[in-house]
Amino acid sequence: MPTRRQFIRRWLFSCCALSMAGMVPRLILSDALAAEAGDSVLAVRKGSDIPALVRQTIDALGGMKSFVTPGETVVVKPNIGWDRSVEFAANTHPLVVKTMVQLCLEAGAKRVQVFDRTCNDPRRCYVSSGIQQTLDALNDKRVEMSHMDRRAYRDFDIEGGQALERWSFYLPAIEADKLINLPIAKHHSISTLTLGMKNMMGVIGGNRGILHRKIAQSLADINAVVHSDLTLIDATRILVENGPQGGRLEDVEVRNTLIASPQIATADAFAATLFGYQPGEIETIVAGHERGLGEINLSKVRQV
Amino acid sequence: MNIHHNWRRAVQLVSLLAFLWLFLQTEYRGADQLAYPVSLLFRLDPLALLAALFSPGQSPLLSLWPAALLLLLTLIFGRFFCGWLCPLGTVIDLGGAPLRRKASAFAGWPAFKYYLLLALVFAAIGGLQLFGLFDPLSIFLRTLTLTINPLWNFIANGAFNWLYQADIPLVSPLADLIYPFFRDYLLSFQPLLFFLGLLTAIVFLIILALERWQPRFWCRSICPLGALFGLCARHSLLQRTPQTQCPDCALCATQCRMGAQHACPSGGTECIRCLDCLDYCPQQRVSFQFGKPTTVPFNLKRRTLLTASAGGVLLAPLMAAAPVSGRLRNDLIRPPGAVAENEFLQRCIRCGECMKVCIGNALQPDLVQGGVFSLWSPVVVARLGYCEYNCTLCGQVCPTGAIRLLPREEKRQTKIGLAVIDQNRCLPYARGEECLVCEEHCPTGKKAIVFDAKIIEQGNQRLARLQPRVVKDLCIGCGICETRCPVAGQSAIVIVSEGESRAPSWLTDRGY
Repeated sequence: MPTRRQFIRRWLFSCCALSMAGMVPRLILSDALAAEAGDSVLAVRKGSDIPALVRQTIDALGGMKSFVTPGETVVVKPNIGWDRSVEFAANTHPLVVKTMVQLCLEAGAKRVQVFDRTCNDPRRCYVSSGIQQTLDALNDKRVEMSHMDRRAYRDFDIEGGQALERWSFYLPAIEADKLINLPIAKHHSISTLTLGMKNMMGVIGGNRGILHRKIAQSLADINAVVHSDLTLIDATRILVENGPQGGRLEDVEVRNTLIASPQIATADAFAATLFGYQPGEIETIVAGHERGLGEINLSKVRQV
Repeated sequence: MNIHHNWRRAVQLVSLLAFLWLFLQTEYRGADQLAYPVSLLFRLDPLALLAALFSPGQSPLLSLWPAALLLLLTLIFGRFFCGWLCPLGTVIDLGGAPLRRKASAFAGWPAFKYYLLLALVFAAIGGLQLFGLFDPLSIFLRTLTLTINPLWNFIANGAFNWLYQADIPLVSPLADLIYPFFRDYLLSFQPLLFFLGLLTAIVFLIILALERWQPRFWCRSICPLGALFGLCARHSLLQRTPQTQCPDCALCATQCRMGAQHACPSGGTECIRCLDCLDYCPQQRVSFQFGKPTTVPFNLKRRTLLTASAGGVLLAPLMAAAPVSGRLRNDLIRPPGAVAENEFLQRCIRCGECMKVCIGNALQPDLVQGGVFSLWSPVVVARLGYCEYNCTLCGQVCPTGAIRLLPREEKRQTKIGLAVIDQNRCLPYARGEECLVCEEHCPTGKKAIVFDAKIIEQGNQRLARLQPRVVKDLCIGCGICETRCPVAGQSAIVIVSEGESRAPSWLTDRGY
């Protein structure tokens, strides 16, 4: 039997050991990223039948099987940021999310997680966006639309970060085998547009507001370490004014377009043209390109 | 032998658990309308009914019918609510048990609660409503909301968090297994944090500690709700026999938890129908039957009654004859749908339901922002949480109409204040840094925060910057800009009460 003093000493020792284990880990540029730098592929499809449109767009890129291997855990990250209903074009369209989830399952994903760190109350956003009901209706145990688990944020050092040296990231997004980015194309007053790179702000913790001071480099840092294996931009309807939250039907334009690319900056670059911008005019997209996140000169992109 | 005792305990426990369950349901759960009548406790509360009755303006009297029914039932059965249903009574019975000493013959001051009730009624008629400070149901729910629930969430979340991070074999997987149940049913969606947790806890602990002195001291001597029930129970049809203490036995004087036989010859006003005496009476003489009540005079002193009434009557004008806090400060923000400040304070019974239900944890208990007697009433502290654009929950739970239930469309247009930018601290103004967080979050369809493009000169640099500006006519004061402002500490954009929809014109159009 240990004496009381021994017991306390041992206990303190194990606490120290445990806290050592919790030292800040480091995130580095993924290998996949470096390999990709050469060839940028882009698929753009138009049509009003959303589920069919999602399938056509992904098929153009070689089908879901080229992104998801059977048995993998996949995170599908739509934009569910705002307490707005579907028609206001503030959140990704529920049918885009649903079809993408189905495609992942068809490709053999073991588990598909859907989440976003919202701006308004998360419960309201999940419901108002229509995404929660749509995914619940799938009634599939492999699909998990959950609220952010407040226990699962962890600080990481960012290797080669230009604006950020360390930030808090959401573990399920980092640990997933594949991450599929499903933003909606919207107007945004500082970064001009909010597209795929901006959508990744939904898998980080911390006080996101301060990122706006150096938004372009911050987003490039985040996207360099949290790699989107596939980006599908929902431009079925886009928000052209009063974004990113919207709230007026006058500001919504129906475009019936989907844009997909394994290279996030490439997808963003094309989406910018929907708003009448050249990719080079949007700082975030340029920063993404410079960080190796895809070709943004659309004439050099292989469109399929 | 203890059959009555056990029955009562079972009912007390079920009632307490039912109210706790309603408390846990006092939260947004995926539908705009709450699924259960979560503020039932206060619709049952005759003091809430009195507060609503004595207030100017229209009262939701129809929704308070359970309180009227309760008073009617008290006329028949006596103070059964205190013995069987009152959640504070049950907590006192349970929590006070380890504190109690041997029975003593000290009777307490049963008359005091009647004087207190009288003073409160007269103050309310005069325009100062203080029921909420002493209402046992308010005390119960307020303690639950401001103290116990945050504490419980803090400890439970801390434990789950630690087990998750430490990843201890066997224990951590088990914790992860039960966590979803806790998360979905027992914990708040997000941990709610409140001011005045300590003050609220102290009041509650004092009430519990009084048990050391005497069982149910609070109920015997102070509780104004008990006094109101006592008045109704005086001629109740269900009476205990014997109605006075037996000459050959004094057990009731020490055993009765309310000192009922001791305090008042008739016992009718003090007896809470706990039925314990059916069990402990050695001669088994006690029975409860419908019969003729005795008319033993009330043991209240006329002089004290007059003093209490006069005190109550004078308190209101005394408070009214002071500067209105709204003329001095502009940081008093009430929830959307709150009626005009005077009427609001007369209606609000400080139950804390709105603070529990507030989806953004924006509502906090006031200390003195709205004056001394604004204590525990809800105020919006927008730096901590904002008023969610599409949410109407606080109006749904308010039992007395202090916060009117607004249809969603009306709520979206109700101004609870106005956002004001502090240019000394706002990043684009003060330091020429880029920032748009307030504009990005502004929820009004046509944004109430717009940007002006400015060229600012910093040293010999010329920078093009967007600077935010608030459009007064569009701003509803929801406070999301103040909550989300990335500046450390105090926000660079704050909500002030200027221009709020409910303000009387004399407060806003101050001329000469």
